[in-house]
Amino acid sequence: MIKHIKKYLIAAAYTLAVQLGYAQQNAIPSDTVRTIVLQEVAVSAKQQNHRLHLQQFYGANQAATTEELLSRIPEVSFIRRGSYGMEPTIRAYSPNQVSVTVDGMRIQGACTDKMDPATIYIEPLNLQSMEVHTAGGSVMQGAAIGGSLNMKLAEAELADMPTLSGSLSSGYQTAARAVLGNLRLSYATPTWGLRASGTYRKSQNYRAGNGERVLYSQYEKANYALNGKFLLHDDLVLQADFIADAGWDMGFPALPMDVGEAQARIASLTLLRENAERRWNRLEARLYANRIAHYMDDSTRPDLPVRMDMPGLSRTSGMYMEGTAAPAAHQSLTLRADASVSHLQASMTMYQEGQTPMYMLTWPDNRQVQAGLAAQYTLQVGRKIQVQLNSRLNASDFSITTGEGRDQLSVFGYTDTEQLFLIPSVSLQLSRMLLQKLKATVSGSLNGRAPTASELYGFYLFSQFDGYDYIGNPNLKAEKSMQGELTLSWQEPRLRLQATAYTAKVDNYILGSYAPNLSAMTIGARGVKVYQNTAHAFLAGAEASAVYNLNGYTQLVSTIKYSYGCDAAGEPLPMMPPLRNVTSLRKYLGDYLWLQAETEVAAAQHRNSEDFAEQPTNAFMLWHLRAGYKKETEKKVWQLNGGVENIFDVNYREHLDWGKISRPGRNLFLQLTMGF
Amino acid sequence: MWALCLATLFITGCDSNSPTPEPTTTYNKIAEGQTESNVFKVKVYSTESELTTGYNPLHVAVYDAAGKRVEEAGISFMPLMDMMTMKHATPFENPASEKVAEGYFSGAVVFTMPSGEMGAWSLTVSVTANGQTDTVTLPITVQEPATSRLKSFVSATDGTRYYVAYLQPQQPKIGVNDLEVAVYKMNTMMDFPAATDLTMELDPEMPSMGHGSPNNQNPTHTSNGHYKGKVNFTMTGLWYLNLTLNDASGQAGQLYFEVNF
Repeated sequence: MIKHIKKYLIAAAYTLAVQLGYAQQNAIPSDTVRTIVLQEVAVSAKQQNHRLHLQQFYGANQAATTEELLSRIPEVSFIRRGSYGMEPTIRAYSPNQVSVTVDGMRIQGACTDKMDPATIYIEPLNLQSMEVHTAGGSVMQGAAIGGSLNMKLAEAELADMPTLSGSLSSGYQTAARAVLGNLRLSYATPTWGLRASGTYRKSQNYRAGNGERVLYSQYEKANYALNGKFLLHDDLVLQADFIADAGWDMGFPALPMDVGEAQARIASLTLLRENAERRWNRLEARLYANRIAHYMDDSTRPDLPVRMDMPGLSRTSGMYMEGTAAPAAHQSLTLRADASVSHLQASMTMYQEGQTPMYMLTWPDNRQVQAGLAAQYTLQVGRKIQVQLNSRLNASDFSITTGEGRDQLSVFGYTDTEQLFLIPSVSLQLSRMLLQKLKATVSGSLNGRAPTASELYGFYLFSQFDGYDYIGNPNLKAEKSMQGELTLSWQEPRLRLQATAYTAKVDNYILGSYAPNLSAMTIGARGVKVYQNTAHAFLAGAEASAVYNLNGYTQLVSTIKYSYGCDAAGEPLPMMPPLRNVTSLRKYLGDYLWLQAETEVAAAQHRNSEDFAEQPTNAFMLWHLRAGYKKETEKKVWQLNGGVENIFDVNYREHLDWGKISRPGRNLFLQLTMGF
Repeated sequence: MWALCLATLFITGCDSNSPTPEPTTTYNKIAEGQTESNVFKVKVYSTESELTTGYNPLHVAVYDAAGKRVEEAGISFMPLMDMMTMKHATPFENPASEKVAEGYFSGAVVFTMPSGEMGAWSLTVSVTANGQTDTVTLPITVQEPATSRLKSFVSATDGTRYYVAYLQPQQPKIGVNDLEVAVYKMNTMMDFPAATDLTMELDPEMPSMGHGSPNNQNPTHTSNGHYKGKVNFTMTGLWYLNLTLNDASGQAGQLYFEVNF
């Protein structure tokens, strides 16, 4: 299938892009970006970096979700409340400190309990690549202190002859008795192309390592994606994207509520000009809009004193423009302007037999207007030194849009609810070849992030994590961060080693602080916390990875990470991933069959936060075995993937999993894919 | 429908002859009658469609013998419950101003019980205007409201009976609401003066959830036994407004009003 796609990459624009990619490859590749490439389309130097080992996992389990793929990037962790809708985060940062975008588009979740991170709307089938930027590289995407995660959508192809291609795939997983089916159809002509795909997943309650089924861990979803590409001129392309995602009956065992239904619509229109001969060799302009409707309820839970519905709605529209130029030899400049406006509203209605429904706005109707200007300048000094300067000026204005919303917040004496945050960010990165194969990159950055709508305006949002009702604070200040990062990498044809250490001091670190004068709204809650700027927090950590090709047929990949975080008083911060290692050994048996053994090891985490009633987590070790077989006929490519995950049926949970819910036990999976 | 049209025509007809236009405020007429010596005609209006146990603002329109609206008058009320074997009055507030406002003289009566088989209410209105005084006694009907708007208790400190009437909020909303109650002492069956020297503690509560609300302001005395504060509702539904009343020597009593919205 890959071979087929490659064959069609003859369009002029692509040839240029590929050449540009290889041209840049001579320069020192960036170390602060991690990429998973899922579809072999335009190959750029950046994406060559790490894709080898990450693709392996994808190749091994095509039933994998976007979340499972992302979890292979060492910097990424997930906060898990159920088997669906896991919330990505980077390093020791909290999800609120990380920017998550879809192809540069902002999507605001509509769920006050964060059950709907943007990652759930993008199926691996629709994903071209995923990029994680740490340090200053993330400023191109947004004002975030913890880095950025961008999911690049798969695109339609152009071909010199009208061509129809596609794939059909189906799979089964035993632990959750989960079925997966997907279909992709692509049509390519010399001047336009269409790509349509659909994915359906249905997962039952999964079986944990101790043999018991975890109630409320089921989900069902369908995802449709459509991309159209039209060649308007030699180097000018118009693209239209549309994604519809629907989920039903999605269980969240770690929360008191589930999601009855969730609907997402994501649409965009992009104009792209790529021409290496022009001064601005790449120019992109995009208009987008999305709408997320999310219905949380507890209708399937037994024996509750009060029944509750919590619907939420998020609407965002925005645009960005980005241009890359080579002002002179060995220099590259990227400029970006982006703006968006988001409207959020969420309410809660509680029902009790024979009583008036109890209604409140959990997110008083609010609006966030955001605009930013960013620039990235790269200078190559000789063959050994590269300097990169990233900067951004971001303005975001938050306000409550209805009198009803303002009335509600006045209960806490909040009279002035509108706030403007002006956040400048700057980062400087210096790379130098120390030896022929050893490179060092050092970077320092100053940046910040605006509070979220929940942190500003949340109204008795119950958090099952620590058992408190959370109340927003419109008087919050922006978080400010000062970060430093050092990366050493050793690269030779058969071996690539890379190690990164980072440290950050975050001023005005936003945390919920206990307010003894307020009484909890939620039955059984321990009290009320109000978001406050704490003096500062200190974060640090390290990641390392190794890719070793023992011979042409055997490959070893290993990654390790560690995160550390404490508040101004030296107390541990919550949700801190412990030391964790993933090691895979893959062996090709001939050209068609491969086998892969994998271990996942996590250390215990005893640095748990007392303030958040966080529990320590035990260490665990898992073994996985995967295999793949590929058969190509003249017109078709057949692929069979299978394996066993958690072979020894270990009962375990990760430290970032909420509510002491065990992860799935032994899981057998099988996936058949036919491509044409 | 026809009746309404005719009534409209009739009122409009009257208007054309009268120098004072008919007021635009729409109240509901509760009772009307000629004074005993036929000097005045008195019409009594309520903000609500009927009188209920609790605090009732009353608006009185007075007309002279020529049918012209009286714009300056001293008005006083005397509500009375006749229970055959005994009679008693109830707290009231005479119109504070002798000048008409929007065509009405506005006062209030706090009915302590509904009309019924036990007894009947009457309201005596005496009018002093244009150098003449005359009175009228009007039979009125008082209903018991769906939600109690009047509470009474016997003081734990001195054994006096108190009546506490709920005035505000009439249209509760999620957010900060003005709270107003009026408190009266029963000195005798006929004397219910305003209690002006109490302190109060307010504690709103959602009985089905077991939680309260933050940043409420205890009602404090303003005038005529009226106490004003702030009550905050964090959601719709059934709330209890728990009030603790204290006099100089300690806690006098506790009671609650229901608010359901």
